[in-house]
Amino acid sequence: MSRLQTFAEDQAEILAASRRTLLKGGLALGAAAAGFGGPAQAAPKEVVLANFGGDAVKAMTEAFVVPYEKATGGKMVIDGSGPSNGKMKTMVLAKNVTWDVVDSGLGGTGELGPAGLLEEIDYSVVDKAKVTPGFAYKYGVCNYMFSTVQAWDTSKVKEKPTLADFFDTGKYPGKRLMRKDSQAMLELALMADGVPADKLYPLDVPRAMKKVAAIKKDLLFWSTGAESQTMLREGEVVMGWLWHTRAVLLQKDTNKKVTFSFDGGLLQPGLWVVPKGNPAGKQAMTAIASMQAPEGQVKLLAAMGNGPANPAAASLVPSELNAINPGAAENVKVQAKIDADWYEKNYAKVRQGFLDMIAS
Amino acid sequence: MISDRRTSWLMIAPALALVTVLFFAPLLRVLVISVTEPSFGLGNYALLLTSASIQRTLLTTLRICVFTTAITLVLAYLVAYVLTHARPAAQRLMLLGVLLPLWMSVLVRAFAWVTLLRREGLINKALEALGLIDHPLSLMWNETGVTIGMVHYMLPLGILPLWSAMRAIDGRVVAAARGLGAGPAQAFLRIFLPLSLPGVIGAGLLVFIFSLGFFITPAILGGGKIIMVAEYIDGQIQETLRWGVGTMVASTLIATIFLLMVVLGRIVDLRTLFGAK
Repeated sequence: MSRLQTFAEDQAEILAASRRTLLKGGLALGAAAAGFGGPAQAAPKEVVLANFGGDAVKAMTEAFVVPYEKATGGKMVIDGSGPSNGKMKTMVLAKNVTWDVVDSGLGGTGELGPAGLLEEIDYSVVDKAKVTPGFAYKYGVCNYMFSTVQAWDTSKVKEKPTLADFFDTGKYPGKRLMRKDSQAMLELALMADGVPADKLYPLDVPRAMKKVAAIKKDLLFWSTGAESQTMLREGEVVMGWLWHTRAVLLQKDTNKKVTFSFDGGLLQPGLWVVPKGNPAGKQAMTAIASMQAPEGQVKLLAAMGNGPANPAAASLVPSELNAINPGAAENVKVQAKIDADWYEKNYAKVRQGFLDMIAS
Repeated sequence: MISDRRTSWLMIAPALALVTVLFFAPLLRVLVISVTEPSFGLGNYALLLTSASIQRTLLTTLRICVFTTAITLVLAYLVAYVLTHARPAAQRLMLLGVLLPLWMSVLVRAFAWVTLLRREGLINKALEALGLIDHPLSLMWNETGVTIGMVHYMLPLGILPLWSAMRAIDGRVVAAARGLGAGPAQAFLRIFLPLSLPGVIGAGLLVFIFSLGFFITPAILGGGKIIMVAEYIDGQIQETLRWGVGTMVASTLIATIFLLMVVLGRIVDLRTLFGAK
């Protein structure tokens, strides 16, 4: 696992690891429970939901599959084999699509959408009002939210560091950690350089690249969520920019020796996308609409730390979960929000430019 | 004789068909994509001359592979030499030591090196405790770390062909040289070394070719900053979906390897090298 990992992929891994330490008795709900009491008319087509496997299959089964099957009488199956962009493209080009709804992100809509490999989201079925404003797009709709945040090692960084401190190697000597991808890294770099959170887009890429390049010799880059966690836990780096889910785990693992803050983070959406020519056709949209129910989304937050996409979920979130919920009002306030339009037009080029910069 | 030949062809036909369908056909498809996506022509190949990004990746790969090969050859030569001249019992024990890492997952070995080489790892901690260094050495998250990890992986691949070449050298010619008045160094330099050279070249090319496709070791030990060609290809295929570019680099890599194999075949007998003889 050293290929660049997506957020959804990492979530599956976290859960797989937590299963080994926690006994979660009685949670083994299966899709088998479905099929009872279906309506008399022809059942809707089976919907295949693709995600990154592990226990994300179990978490999504509870959060999404069970309520969907109860409400529609249809069947939903989870395929946890890991839907990378490359696999989706292969399927669509071979006209052999087996997935209906795919757990993806801006990397998916940005690369696959413009290439004509995705269906457009049908907003007459999917309710835009049940999505946090700004996170419903042409080729993808928010499924959950996650954040890229700054975490630090309190044994080496005594006070809560600002984003600018990340670049101040004189004040806090030691290596820093970034993701091996431009997404979120450029945004945080610009904010560290003084750009206000609401004036980030269009990104001033050369300025951000210059900022990062200036401390390149003190930077390490992670590809997988597990890697980011290890680097901070084992003292390889003093500060790092990583996903909030891993930051939460670090806080727990190290007894707060490593801690984090949503301040100056970047709020990003996990997206449902529908590959072009999906087998269940329009039923995919019905499935997405069903998964907008706030109750299921709160279950996903409890199980995986994914922030609910539906604003109506806010009142259902137990207060102790709000501290780790990237979408909680008080956390949203202190973060910037990613701009999907910008990514659709610029991601491929900027990402390659970023990789070239760190490899040069 | 003729019918004998026909029978043998018939006998390998299923295997041949399998290789054609499962190996050559996809390979051909890779080649086709590289000249058809996004449009027909050699546009993707022109990137070899114009794209600084691809050129840098290829240069990084080349540099790391050359260093890895050189260091591996020196170390492997020493081991193979001792192995050749050891007593049978010691030889068996040494061979086990050579082969054991070969059976271990490349991932496990890369992570083992992380434990040893990192800032607060075993080596830095030990050196600091001994008072030899004040600050941790940068042993990894750079090309040094990648090269260490790769040399470790490659050693058995270097040692085994060298050992096989050295075993084929008639020990009596060295003895004859000594008998005619040559010193040990002279006998080695003028007799043993030249005779072992085909083995050195064969092992070198073998190690070099294997190094070209390395993915996991550089990705883990390079701290994210060392991008070799295999990782570059993976990114183009899986993430940015520039399949034309990805397949072009892959085809270039395959062509390079093929070329090296041809060169290798002219210098040494491939069948001996791979143990078919």
